[in-house]
Amino acid sequence: MTIAIINTDMNIGPFRIPGNGQNMITNNYAERNNFKVEEIIPEPFKSRSLATTQWVHKKKRLKIVILCSIHQLPLEKKRIKDLVNNMKKVEFHFALEGISGKGKRFLLDCIQEAKIFKDARIIDSQKTSWSKLYKIKNSKKY
Amino acid sequence: MKINTLINKEPGYAICSIENMKIFKKLRDSFLKNLKIPHKYKKNINNARVQIAKMSKAEINRSMINFLTFNKNLSEMMINSCPKLIKDLCGKDLFIQRRAHTTINVPGNEHTKQWTHYEMISGISPFTYIFWAPLHDLDDDGGAYHIDLKTSLKIMKKEEKEGLVNGPRVLEMMGLKKPPRLKFGQAIIFNPFVLHGNIPFQSGFARIACNVRFQSCNKPLLQKNTDYLKYFRLS
Repeated sequence: MTIAIINTDMNIGPFRIPGNGQNMITNNYAERNNFKVEEIIPEPFKSRSLATTQWVHKKKRLKIVILCSIHQLPLEKKRIKDLVNNMKKVEFHFALEGISGKGKRFLLDCIQEAKIFKDARIIDSQKTSWSKLYKIKNSKKY
Repeated sequence: MKINTLINKEPGYAICSIENMKIFKKLRDSFLKNLKIPHKYKKNINNARVQIAKMSKAEINRSMINFLTFNKNLSEMMINSCPKLIKDLCGKDLFIQRRAHTTINVPGNEHTKQWTHYEMISGISPFTYIFWAPLHDLDDDGGAYHIDLKTSLKIMKKEEKEGLVNGPRVLEMMGLKKPPRLKFGQAIIFNPFVLHGNIPFQSGFARIACNVRFQSCNKPLLQKNTDYLKYFRLS
């Protein structure tokens, strides 16, 4: 039974976290929770299916996996189905959100929450100013 | 004047009453339960405050680790203690702070200087509101002061012209402020453009308060996302 951290593409929902940053976040989470990490699973660039993780699970029977965020979970129906079926007994930890759990319900709730946030509009903070943000707050457009 | 107008227009904040005291008292009991002090002081919040006021910073920090358990449901408890007002401001579907804050301020000049700041400095959305409530009566200057929206915006625009955010003009505003004396069961709700902070205070009691941020999930986000917020539906 193995504890693993998972690295994915640096574009993680609204966040851009380079691989070494992901390693720092997940290793720090493991340390704070007294988990001894035995495996680092690199998911490929542009992949959202966690297929490598599922393949490793078949070989090594993962017990705990640590990811940076719920935004790293798949969004496509087929990929979700595969993940839930293959990894329902594995405990998932999401370091940035500070949440953990296992089973179909937990994974589907996390995916649903990620979807709600994905659908939320985001103001581009690089293209705005404090005054503009105050105007936005009072604008009927929003 | 309607609370909604006070919060969104002038003065940008409002003192309001907690709607569900049963939940809010439960929240306070839960805080006392998780506090690392002898059991005999846990029955009364003021006894606990006296004990905390005597603690060193290190002891308080150690005690805060215990609050991680307490804080687990703190956001939901706070939101559920004022559902009507929050629904009036934001509707039923919310993004709420994933982990609400508990702040302990110890009396004395060397402590408790939370300099003047806008909540916006953390990158929360301009549509966010802040709900701040003490866990006891505030009989001294241990509370938080708020500066009216008009003044806050004037300073913000001045700083913007100078290319500054929360510069010395804001940081040095702390001196002359007078925090309001709230009762247990009262809270301040304010918008994120309102300058606020607290001042050093002299007392035999520590100040304990909780705060949570929330916004409608139909309004845009800024920099904070699932790292800070979670979806919550008011029942």
